[in-house]
Amino acid sequence: MSPYLDSLERVFSVFWKLSRKARRTKFFFLFSQLPVAVALIIRLNSLFSGRTPATGLYLFTNIIMFFYLQMIILVLALFYGTSVCSEEVEGKTLPYLTTRPLPKSAIVLGKYGAYTAIAAAMTSFGLILSFLILNFDSLSGRAVLALPRYLGVLVFGLVSYGALFTFFGSALKRSVFFGLLFSFGWENVIQYFPGSTQRLAIAHYLKSFLPSPPAGRFAFLTFRLEPTPPGLSLLVLGLVTTACLTLAGLVFSKKEYILED
Amino acid sequence: MTPVIAARNLAKWYGNVLGLSDVTLEIEPGVTGLLGPNGAGKSTFLKLLTGQIKPSIGEVTILGRPVRGDASLYSRIGFCPEQDAFYEEMTGREFVTSLLRLHRFSAGEARTRAERALGTVDLRGDGDRLIKAYSRGMRQRLKFAQAIAHDPEIIILDEPLNGLDPLGKRKLIRLVREFRGEGRTIIVSSHVLPEIEALTRTIVLIHQGKIFARGDIHEIRDLIDSHPHLVSIRCPEPRSLAARFLADGHVLKVDFGADGRSLLVETNDRDEFFGRLGRLIVSDAVKVEEITSPDDNLQAVFDYLVGK
Amino acid sequence: MTIREKGYFHWEGPLRERRFAWWPITRLGLRLAFKKKGFKFLYFGSFIPALVFLVGIYISERIGEFRYMIRGSSQLLEVNPAFFKTYYTSDFLLFMMVMLMVVGGAGLVADDLRHNALQLYFSRPLEKRDYLAGKASVLVALLLSLTLLPGLAFIIFKLLFSGSFRFIADYPWILLSVAAYSAAVTAFFCLYTLLLSSLSRNRRYVSILLFAVYLVSDILFGIFYGNFKNPAFALLSLKANLQQAGAFLFRQKLPYDIPAGWSILILAAVGAAAWLVVNKRVRSVEVVK
Repeated sequence: MSPYLDSLERVFSVFWKLSRKARRTKFFFLFSQLPVAVALIIRLNSLFSGRTPATGLYLFTNIIMFFYLQMIILVLALFYGTSVCSEEVEGKTLPYLTTRPLPKSAIVLGKYGAYTAIAAAMTSFGLILSFLILNFDSLSGRAVLALPRYLGVLVFGLVSYGALFTFFGSALKRSVFFGLLFSFGWENVIQYFPGSTQRLAIAHYLKSFLPSPPAGRFAFLTFRLEPTPPGLSLLVLGLVTTACLTLAGLVFSKKEYILED
Repeated sequence: MTPVIAARNLAKWYGNVLGLSDVTLEIEPGVTGLLGPNGAGKSTFLKLLTGQIKPSIGEVTILGRPVRGDASLYSRIGFCPEQDAFYEEMTGREFVTSLLRLHRFSAGEARTRAERALGTVDLRGDGDRLIKAYSRGMRQRLKFAQAIAHDPEIIILDEPLNGLDPLGKRKLIRLVREFRGEGRTIIVSSHVLPEIEALTRTIVLIHQGKIFARGDIHEIRDLIDSHPHLVSIRCPEPRSLAARFLADGHVLKVDFGADGRSLLVETNDRDEFFGRLGRLIVSDAVKVEEITSPDDNLQAVFDYLVGK
Repeated sequence: MTIREKGYFHWEGPLRERRFAWWPITRLGLRLAFKKKGFKFLYFGSFIPALVFLVGIYISERIGEFRYMIRGSSQLLEVNPAFFKTYYTSDFLLFMMVMLMVVGGAGLVADDLRHNALQLYFSRPLEKRDYLAGKASVLVALLLSLTLLPGLAFIIFKLLFSGSFRFIADYPWILLSVAAYSAAVTAFFCLYTLLLSSLSRNRRYVSILLFAVYLVSDILFGIFYGNFKNPAFALLSLKANLQQAGAFLFRQKLPYDIPAGWSILILAAVGAAAWLVVNKRVRSVEVVK
């Protein structure tokens, strides 16, 4: 293994272990299972009332995925992404990392990888559980084949949002404030604009991967969506992720972080 | 011979605030004390040394190589920062082991080295407790443990004795002396003069971002011509002794002790004074019980140079 | 000229206890908040709706001159309790209040917990109630300036522009409604912010929580209401409960078909729970297990 990859792997392994047992992980795990509770309530209601207003897949795509894409992964990516650099500076533990024989960019990438993996594991667990709850009595081949697609959308979302917020955390002092403005201001508004404007939102490319169910009262997830072809969406997300991580690595390597006494 | 650490025209500004100004020095193996009051520039110098910040002017090299941008150098450097900061949700053992893993040691070797380092600082028994439950002294010792766990040849300690009880301080001082005996290069920064004096005679005195003096404590003291030396003499007849050298031009002042059995002489030529005193003792059979130089120490050097 | 001894002076006079022990904490909190450029921008930006509504009051009194601009119903600009309710329960105003709490309130207790500053506070002649009152007052000052002040301004300018007291005669309870709703929403957000700020030592974490809890409650309401069509799910949403309370206090038609008392009870319960937790978390002595 090349020395750089070796450094990356070591940083990943240290922070994967640390974040697995962190108290905040337990909180975020519960937070990421909220859609499971929602799915359970909806399912139990339909079982007891005997009414099924829509198919499990429809409810899953438009309610559960909506919840994950427009709330859960944004919060997780914002917290974990900004934490990559900010928590070392705020916690004054930065010298322990920068005085090890590691390239500085490997520190950023390794931590980013570990935190994204944790977030992906938590949300994937919840997503799969929600999917099974809503579709357990209609697990057709089509439905089961769709699940990896949904998981992929979730992971791509965490990867790209996480990269963006990692850059925010490395470069900006008020990274959370700008992250909130971006996530719940810009992303929430721009993705519903017509034409090319909606292509300025990461959410647009994530939603472009989703199957488009028939319009219904829950269709706000794909409301006004003019999807981009999946290949192009993947390319754009890849470029955004690469650019943000490269910038984060560069900023972290060059910037002087003054730790408050 | 290439010095271990070399700084040339090193300067650092934080905006308009001068952190360090025109520092040029070389550090050889052994213990070097970095001495100065709070805000003098010690931590700035150490941060420049460890590559955490980059110089505004000048350069600093370790083993002939520039620090910043050469991550491989850190396998030979151990740094104990001043801040009391840790990954609080780790245990002490996990903390040291994890940082060793970042040094490319295998998992097994990292564990072995961590055990050894924890044993060195007497934290082996508390290694499985969470760091947030550690006392101040334990936290300080843990910081030292992570700095030495990978057997670095250069150890940089920023205020290492902070928070330690007297026993802990003695142990750490003994450890530093052992490392010196092994030929390692140790830089210790402190504003507590007795601590530095206990560790080394080689000091670099920093104040207001500049180096005021460097070298052996006693040599520096001798070089301070502008300040008279004090000599304390304990004898049965201090006034009689004083009368014998009051006429000497190099004696500036004489104070008598409250107990009536000592006198404190201020002279601007210590060698001449001691020569005269020696002749008096021999020729006039003057009885003298004790002779000391109260200002031949770091506190006096510090006070004289810093202008207190 | 006499040489004064620069020694330690003993105060020979009487020791006067400060009446409002919490005031220095409030003053410091406000000063620190306004030191941040982002906060100043956000704070003054939060007054945009108030300015818009104030202009609306002016236009409503000069409706003839502006008729060319307003096509359709001029009832849009009728200044009545519905006008006040629209301002107070607007999504934008509530969103800006949450953002102000994020930027100005997230670190109020969290930073003190992080830096172990509680011991510094309680080693002074300061009770826990003084500490909490001081911290709460920072938020109260910010929130009241967005609620009570604009409400009073609307009433005053309405009277000024109309040139008569008819507005007060028509709606004599309006002042009470403005005060009551301002107090209610201020108290709620104040306790909500202090609760979350006292739960963590990490200000960043608290900032995200402040936003996330508010938003998630609304999303859950949207999902369950969309699926079950039961208005009772509005009780899940903090925003919906505030809007219910606002409509009730301004004697308007309730947005959701549930008794307003339930919404007020939910808000009060959240506030009470917040108060209990904050009281438990803020201690002068920390126990490390």
